[in-house]
Amino acid sequence: MAAAIPEFYPPKLVLAPKYLSHRSHATNLSSCSSYFSSTKPQFQLLRKNYSSAGEFRVLHNIKRHSLKVSCRATGAGVQPKGAPPSPAEIESAIRAGKDRLLKMTGTVETREMKEQFLDNMDLERERGITIKLQAARMRYVHNNEPYVLNLIDTPGHVDFSYEVSRSLAACEGALLVVDASQGVEAQTLANVYLALENNLEIIPVLNKIDLPGAEPERVCREIEEVVGLDCSDAIYCSAKEGIGITEILSAIVQKVPPPPDTAERPLRALIFDSYYDAYRGVIVYFRLIDGCIKRGDRILFMASGKDYYADEVGFLSPNQLQVDRLNAGEVGYLSASIRSVADARVGDTITHYSRKAEESLPGYKEVTPMVFCGLFPVDADQFHELRDALEKLQLNDSALKFEPETSSAMGFGFRCGFLGLLHMEIVQERLEREYNLSLITTAPSVVYRVTCTSGDIVECSNPSLLPEAGNRRLIEEPYVKIEMLTPKDYIGALMELAQDRRGEFKEIKFITEIRASLLYELPLAEMVGDFFDQLKSRSKGYASMEYSFIGYRESDLIKLDIQINGEPVEPLSTIVHKDKAYAVGRALTQKLKELIPRQMFKVPIQACIGAKVIASEALSAIRKDVLAKCYGGDISRKKKLLKKQAEGKKRMKAIGKVDVPQEAFMAVLKLEKEVL
Amino acid sequence: MLLRSAYAPLLSSAQRLSLSTVTNSLTHQQCPQPVRQNAPLLLELPKLPPASAYVHLPFCRKRCHYCDFPIIALGSSSSHDDDPRISSYVDTLCREITATKLPSSSSFPPLETVFLGGGTPSLVPPRLVSSVLDALSDKFGLCGDAEISMEMDPGTFNEAAMRELMSLGVNRVSLGVQSFQAELLRSCGRAHGVDEIFEAVEIVKTCGVENWSVDLISSLPHQTPAMWEESLQLTVAAGPTHVSVYDLQVEQDTKFGVLYTPGEFPLPSENQSADFYKMASTMLGNAGYEHYEISSYCKSGYRCKHNSTYWKNKPFYAFGLGSASHISGVRFSRPRRLKDYVNYVQDLENGAVDTRSDGIVENKDLAMDVTMLSLRTSDGLDLKSFREAFGDSILVSMLEVYRPYLESGLVICLDEQRRDVAADEVVVSSSLNEKLAYLRLSDPDGFLLSNELIALAFGVISP
Repeated sequence: MAAAIPEFYPPKLVLAPKYLSHRSHATNLSSCSSYFSSTKPQFQLLRKNYSSAGEFRVLHNIKRHSLKVSCRATGAGVQPKGAPPSPAEIESAIRAGKDRLLKMTGTVETREMKEQFLDNMDLERERGITIKLQAARMRYVHNNEPYVLNLIDTPGHVDFSYEVSRSLAACEGALLVVDASQGVEAQTLANVYLALENNLEIIPVLNKIDLPGAEPERVCREIEEVVGLDCSDAIYCSAKEGIGITEILSAIVQKVPPPPDTAERPLRALIFDSYYDAYRGVIVYFRLIDGCIKRGDRILFMASGKDYYADEVGFLSPNQLQVDRLNAGEVGYLSASIRSVADARVGDTITHYSRKAEESLPGYKEVTPMVFCGLFPVDADQFHELRDALEKLQLNDSALKFEPETSSAMGFGFRCGFLGLLHMEIVQERLEREYNLSLITTAPSVVYRVTCTSGDIVECSNPSLLPEAGNRRLIEEPYVKIEMLTPKDYIGALMELAQDRRGEFKEIKFITEIRASLLYELPLAEMVGDFFDQLKSRSKGYASMEYSFIGYRESDLIKLDIQINGEPVEPLSTIVHKDKAYAVGRALTQKLKELIPRQMFKVPIQACIGAKVIASEALSAIRKDVLAKCYGGDISRKKKLLKKQAEGKKRMKAIGKVDVPQEAFMAVLKLEKEVL
Repeated sequence: MLLRSAYAPLLSSAQRLSLSTVTNSLTHQQCPQPVRQNAPLLLELPKLPPASAYVHLPFCRKRCHYCDFPIIALGSSSSHDDDPRISSYVDTLCREITATKLPSSSSFPPLETVFLGGGTPSLVPPRLVSSVLDALSDKFGLCGDAEISMEMDPGTFNEAAMRELMSLGVNRVSLGVQSFQAELLRSCGRAHGVDEIFEAVEIVKTCGVENWSVDLISSLPHQTPAMWEESLQLTVAAGPTHVSVYDLQVEQDTKFGVLYTPGEFPLPSENQSADFYKMASTMLGNAGYEHYEISSYCKSGYRCKHNSTYWKNKPFYAFGLGSASHISGVRFSRPRRLKDYVNYVQDLENGAVDTRSDGIVENKDLAMDVTMLSLRTSDGLDLKSFREAFGDSILVSMLEVYRPYLESGLVICLDEQRRDVAADEVVVSSSLNEKLAYLRLSDPDGFLLSNELIALAFGVISP
């Protein structure tokens, strides 16, 4: 029997693979998982993934996880040919779902099984999210014929939407997994549309039917109404209870078409992931679209233009298993002593050096950082360690950008660019956790585009580098389109939120009687921060959202400076909308007054636009700090206290003659939750 | 009157000394202190043999609400003359004095100052005080003109006791008045009232104690500016040669620590409390007292010599419960619990303890000690000795750090004649102005912020 291979592409971020071996393969499963642990603790899943494409073309948000499954059948001993792939999105208990699938197909031995098998980074298990894509090959016998299914589990968060879009583009089928107790979410829609765009066979699955609140019939209707998908064959399952798993596997084999046999064409393979291995260099995960690849082949990465010899090729079962040759339709990996993942980026096409394909596969993009922040070591001595750590992370994460930055207040550090906030958070956390660094992060900012009076256009992500007011003609900022799906009770609260964030109302649609979709356009800068947290808290966790980048727009933005005792404090400068400047200035000066300890003199704290002071607070002077006590000749305790006092001063940064504690530099961050 | 009081201590100490060993009396006369010429004074000073001794007499009738000193409360029975707790403590104390190993240098000076502190030393019967002084004299010798101070609380001594103590050589009295308001005395748990204060002052004067001090505490709970003013006025009227003005420190594990938070009612606010400090400085200054240390004022020539050894970072012996000595550059605190202390003395006698250890004190620590102690005084930091001992660069950095405060007047630089040196003349092209001789904190503003200012210096010394 021949089987075709469908594949899916997952996003980046790193992980050491650990896979089990298998012989023949027929099916590829890919799943998209998302971030942010679920509000429903019993499932421990992800809550949202929103991805934007603008720079990234499509956005899709996946609530929980999505599983894209593709499968193909192989006859015994025969190399696989076309088989039905199916991408799908598993809405809810994806974690459990993936584990179930692995167990059911005997891919992973029970004794090796632990929860969330495919999420093997501590951070992933803790947060219940998938940061690093994983792939697993599963064997499944249907009607006495062996099939191989490949499961690709990808992060579904918006920050990684490009990778997700690549993985979806490569799938032949997908599972649409919807939480039977909760219904369709904003991210679901985005991913479904993306899957439909890629002509994927979609198999609807209703998960969590074991829950008392599950209403599979209502949710089926909702899918039919909102997505327009026929749900008469929808599979009811409970990953937790193991209900419906066999049905899912059978449906994959029956419905998902096998990939076409194009082994004779020039090699074209789509990279859906890569990671850096300290011993072998970059390991590339790819889906063979056309042709075949053999060990020792000289290969070329069409976008980066780099060529290498493939030292090792193999498939993922899910452990890496070396083979001599992989054919069209298959999913595999290769290593070629590649030094950095930047040379083998997700979305790039692999071809033969000597027999080049005429055209690369469509959709490749250089990912561009959207969100920036300064990272500074708390201890100045850790600067070099920080650079080494960033370089190591970058080997694995080509989306991470950084350049040295010097700040009068924070010393030496780096200005880093990230795909989004989650990406930023993860990098930060990994630096602290895996590299033992202690960091100060400045408030995240976006990239502003400034047109100078000279006609030059300057891109600026660091408020302190913004051209002088006199030299600016206009400032543009990135805008996003945001769609929020919410039960109707929270429409008011969410509209208020969007309005507060300078949102421009576009549309409201009732997708069912009780659920509505809200469409807004708002500045990315307003999303960067706690927007998602606010959305969740104002809707008691029921609303979902997704957003996409829609371009730059001119805004009435100004630079708000902070002066402490008359000295401008660069790291505290922010770019804000003119209408918000007063509120932010007031809140910031008040916050700083709380955070800065009193000095031996009165300290004015001012917020200014240019030379104009718009908010002012004064820190009163210490009146008395003296130990006028009879302590005889026993000075040890007194000395200890004074030493402690001196230590306290050392932990602060001197701005002019004022000692400012590190926390004060985080004031802007803290502020967002309170005023913005 | 004046003559009598001037001679009485000398006569009485001579009397007493004649009873003690003759050998020691020979050593009083010459008080040579061997100073090696080549070594910087500040480095050598702490290593000289001590010429001062602190003796802790921990007994009190009851514990005051602000007190966290090692004391032993006896209860309020009328007389403690035969209290076995006192006699056995004094016995242990004398054993400690006797068992103390003398500094290794062959010649050591007799004591020039002795301070009997507490507790309430005046609760100790004079005959026991006598045995303590004898022990000291036997062990170290006592200069004929040694300053022998004793802390005495109102209501704990009468004229006869005072005279007896004077005859033993006590020539300086530190009177624990604290406040002149009955309600404040009550609320801080003092064992005496206002009447006893006036009686005590009368006794001291009648007996002709020439050199005596009044202790006051400011910033007590419920204290008003009017009350503080009254206390200062009555103090000035009593005419002591010395006044100690302490600012209430609310210590943890004291009754006040449990009840109150500094700066919050009923304690005065920080501003109020700063004003109390300034009021003392102004009123006592106007009455002819020199503010020679953060909490000490005196009439000309009446600085407390014993306390001056502390501010100058000189060595001193210490004996008794919880007391801290400074010998050969090493500071050592004795156990604060009686049982531990008794064991300590036992060990000392058995040779198991040697407080003389030539511990190596880092220059950094020494520089901090010198700085924190001398900046408490109006004399200030002797820049020439400091520079000689610790180098130029540290001083330059310190003055750089102090620059804003030199400008605002919290810190003052003085030349050899103690004339102000303007802030912009202190450091000239990154080297010190040769005229500079002293650095001091201003009175009262610099003194009021001394912790902050000294901490700044610490930051320079130990970056």
